[in-house]
Parts: sequence; C-alpha cells; structure tokens
Amino acid sequence: MIRLAWLILRKDLTVEVRSGEIAYTTLFFAVTCVLVFAFALVREGRPPEDGAAGILWIAIAFAGNLALGRAFERERQAETLRALLLAPTPRPAVYLGKLLGIVVLLAGTEAILVPLIALLFQAQLLAHPFWLSAILAAGTIGFAAVGTLFAAMLVRARSRDVLLPVLLYPITVPVIIAGVRGTAALLQPQFEGDIVRFWFALLIAFDAVFVTLSLWTFESVMTD
Amino acid sequence: MPKWFLRAAVVCAVMFVLSPFVIANADYESTMGLVQKIFYYHMPSAWMFLVAGIVCGVASVRFLISGDPRHDRTAWAAAEMAVIFGVVTLVTGPLWARRAWGTYWVWDARTTSSLVQWMVAWAYLILRRYGGPGSDKLAAGLALFGVANVGFIYISVNYWRTIHPATTVVPKLPFTMGFPLWYCVASFTLLFVLLLKMRIRLEEQRATLDSLYLSLDEQH
Amino acid sequence: MSLSMRTLAAVVLTVFCVSVPLGAQVPQPSGQAPKNQGEYVPIEQLPPQDQLPAAPLLIAAYSFVLIVFFAYVLSLSRRLTSVQRDVDRLGATLKQSSKP
Repeated sequence: MIRLAWLILRKDLTVEVRSGEIAYTTLFFAVTCVLVFAFALVREGRPPEDGAAGILWIAIAFAGNLALGRAFERERQAETLRALLLAPTPRPAVYLGKLLGIVVLLAGTEAILVPLIALLFQAQLLAHPFWLSAILAAGTIGFAAVGTLFAAMLVRARSRDVLLPVLLYPITVPVIIAGVRGTAALLQPQFEGDIVRFWFALLIAFDAVFVTLSLWTFESVMTD
Repeated sequence: MPKWFLRAAVVCAVMFVLSPFVIANADYESTMGLVQKIFYYHMPSAWMFLVAGIVCGVASVRFLISGDPRHDRTAWAAAEMAVIFGVVTLVTGPLWARRAWGTYWVWDARTTSSLVQWMVAWAYLILRRYGGPGSDKLAAGLALFGVANVGFIYISVNYWRTIHPATTVVPKLPFTMGFPLWYCVASFTLLFVLLLKMRIRLEEQRATLDSLYLSLDEQH
Repeated sequence: MSLSMRTLAAVVLTVFCVSVPLGAQVPQPSGQAPKNQGEYVPIEQLPPQDQLPAAPLLIAAYSFVLIVFFAYVLSLSRRLTSVQRDVDRLGATLKQSSKP
C-alpha cells in the first residue's frame, strides 16, 4: 500500500513539475497574502508585536485551501479520480498519495514564506530551525489531512469552492491555535522549551487521530 | 405525529409557563444577585447543545456504517437542534456576563470551544442545504470530525486562554437553587425531544414526498 | 395538527407574557423606606445595586429564549404543513391515475 501511495504521489508531482500550475499560483497567492498583511499592519517600519506567527499560519491556511481546491478540481476535470477509484487500489493508498502531494506542495510554499515573513515583520523565525520545521511539518500534515478528505468528498458536490473553507476552518481550529502558539513561543527572546514541546505534542496527537479517522472515513464516503 | 406528542407538548408548555415562578422563588446568589437567574435557562440550553452534538455525531457514525437513511435524518435534525440551542446559549451567556464579568464576551476555553462547535453545526446545515446530491455522507463525515475534535479544541483553547465558572458549581448547589435548575433541565430536555421528533418527522415526510414523485414518474 | 399547534403556541405566548412580569417581581428589601432628608450626602461611586441594572439583561435573556423557540416552532410547523400538503396532493393524484 505504501508503494501505491508513493506511485500516486509521483504521478501528481510529475504532472505538477511539468505544468507548475498549482505550485506557482499557490506560491504567488501566499506571497501576495503576506504582502497585504504587511501593508495593512506594518506602520512606519514597526511591525505589530507577535504578528509574525499568526500571519505565517494564516497564509498557510489560505494557500492550503486554494491548493486543495485546485488539486481536486484538476482530478475532477480529467476524470482521473474516478479512474483511481475504479482501479483495484485500496482507498487508503489513494488518500495517502493525495495527502503527501499536498504536504509537499505546502512545504515548498512554507520554505519561501518563512524567510519572507522573517524579513517583513522583523521576526527571528529562523532562530530555532529544528523546532520551527517540526511545528510547521506537524501542523501542515494536520491541516492537509483534514483538507484532503474534505476536498475529495466535495469533488462532486455543488458549491464546492465555497464549501471547502466553510467545512475546513472550524475543524482545523486546534491546528491553527497550536501552530501559532508554538511558533510564537519560538519567537520569544527566552526559549521556552516546555511550551514549544506541549504545542508540538498536541499537533502530533491531532495528526495521529485525524489521519487515522480520515483513512477510515475515506472508504465509506468516496461514493461515485 | 404519534399520540404521545401532543400530550408531551402540553406538559412541556405548562412546565415552561410555570418556570418563571419556580425561578423567582430560588435564592439569590450572593455575588451576582438578580442577573444570576439567567443561569436557570443558560445552563440547561448549554447541556442540550452538548447533547445535540453527541446525538448528531453518533447518528452520523451509524449512518456511515449502515447507510440507513433514518440515522441520516436523526443526524440532520440533531444538527439543527445544536444550532438552535447553541444560539440560545451563546446569547444568554453574554447577557449574564455583561453584569457578572463586566464584559459581553471573553475568549476563554469554554466560550471559544462552544463557538467553534456551533460553527461546525452551522457548517453542517449549510452543507446539507447547498451541497447537492451526496451531501448526506459528506455531512456525516463532517459531524464525525466535529465530535472527534471536541477534546482537541477544548485542550488547545484551555492552554491558550483561561474566567468561566468551574464545573464544580452544579454539584454543590443548595436545594433552593438546585430544584429550579433541575426543573429547567427537565423542561429543556422535554423541549429538545419534542423539537427533535418534529424535525425528524419533517425529513420523513420529505422522503415520502420524494418516493411519491418517483412513483409518479414511473407511472408516466 | 398545525391548527392545534398554532393555538397552543398562541395560548402559551399569552400566558407567558402575563406570567413573567407577575412571577419575576423582586420582593422589596425591608427597612428601606425613604426618610425625610435634611441634607445631601455625596459619595464617590454609585452603590453596587445601582451600577448596572440587572433586570433589563435578565428580561432580555428570557425574552430572547422565548422568541427563538417560538420562531423555530413556527418555522418548523410551516415547513411540515407545506410538505404534508404536497404529500396529500400527490397521494391523491397517484390514486386517481391508478384507478382506471
């Protein structure tokens, strides 16, 4: 099953590398989002205190929402999702493959966003790179886990573009809170390891529960 | 509607009509005075909001496992109950808070997680209304995630913010305040059951209507 | 069913509107009959019971609860009657067309 998930991931990445459609549009949108925040909130060269953590996660949430919508829209238009489901692949493998694709895409976006936000908002985001990567990874996986499931479920629904954020954001509130709090703790002048570890542990627990739940739900919900 | 419904509805109406008298005879609370009496309606509706969420979650899981449309109808009705009782809770709470805490709203663990859960219930209704065909299973998935999320939301918000009365208040109530509370809990529970039954009946009738339309199509 | 539900709702509303002011009357605390004042005594702050009247908040809360449930029952019964009417109409049409 892991091999099948890896095949699906490679397929998505190959298509993406050739066209670059989702990667470039998502990246551009995320950067524009951060710039809008900078124009709105940075006054006379002074950024708001503790603003960087929140803005980073808002940009990830918005960009993730866009990427999820586009990824499954492409599947829908090419009818490849139906082909995937008809093929004798176990459903969890399809889910895992799509999930990994979204995570890779968001990871690429975050790699650009973190230095940009550190620069615009004068925040020492790169002070603890290991913990920052850990929190970003755990949070992105949690967000993408729920998002992949909902986006796949909504592929055949009406008003799917509007419904995805309506469904996704209330459910991912704990991920956003934990991500922002964890990142903000990293930005403090005194490094508070306990707080960072607590939020990281919460994110890992969320990931474990919701990836498992999504794997189970994906089977019953992907009707055709 | 079944025979017991009208009789239960009359009982429920009478209980609610009598409730202001029962509440007026309760003792005042020493620090909050008159405004604390909102508690007797705020607390039971908060509990019914919680119960509605649990009913929706359980019915959604059963629907996902068995595919039986009756569970789907129960889940939809329970989600609507959650929105209604949630609105009551989220409005009576701030009105009480204005006097007791000096401000309408604080972002503490209980209030924020209630607000988020209420938004999930509202998202459920939006999905059922605008999702088109197949939205029954989608909504069941959403409800399942919403219920599974309760713990995470509570923990994350708890460690993010901390003013709401502790859960130890209710067991320690003296009789003069305990009796009106449990009386109101009984009234609200009865109201919840009645409204849920009515709402499920609406879905059953809609399903009957759909099957009638289908038979009409088949005839022609 | 809807007519009796509406009648019931109207009766409940009327009784509630009459009973809430009667039942919620706060008993006057004893021993506070105003005395003839010889002079005014200034104080810095209002005494606690005068700071923010609680009664409007209490009444607003109870009225809101009443309005929400009343509006919901009304909306639900309206939806039910319209669907019931359609079911009856369709049932009659089906019976008609299946007769001959």
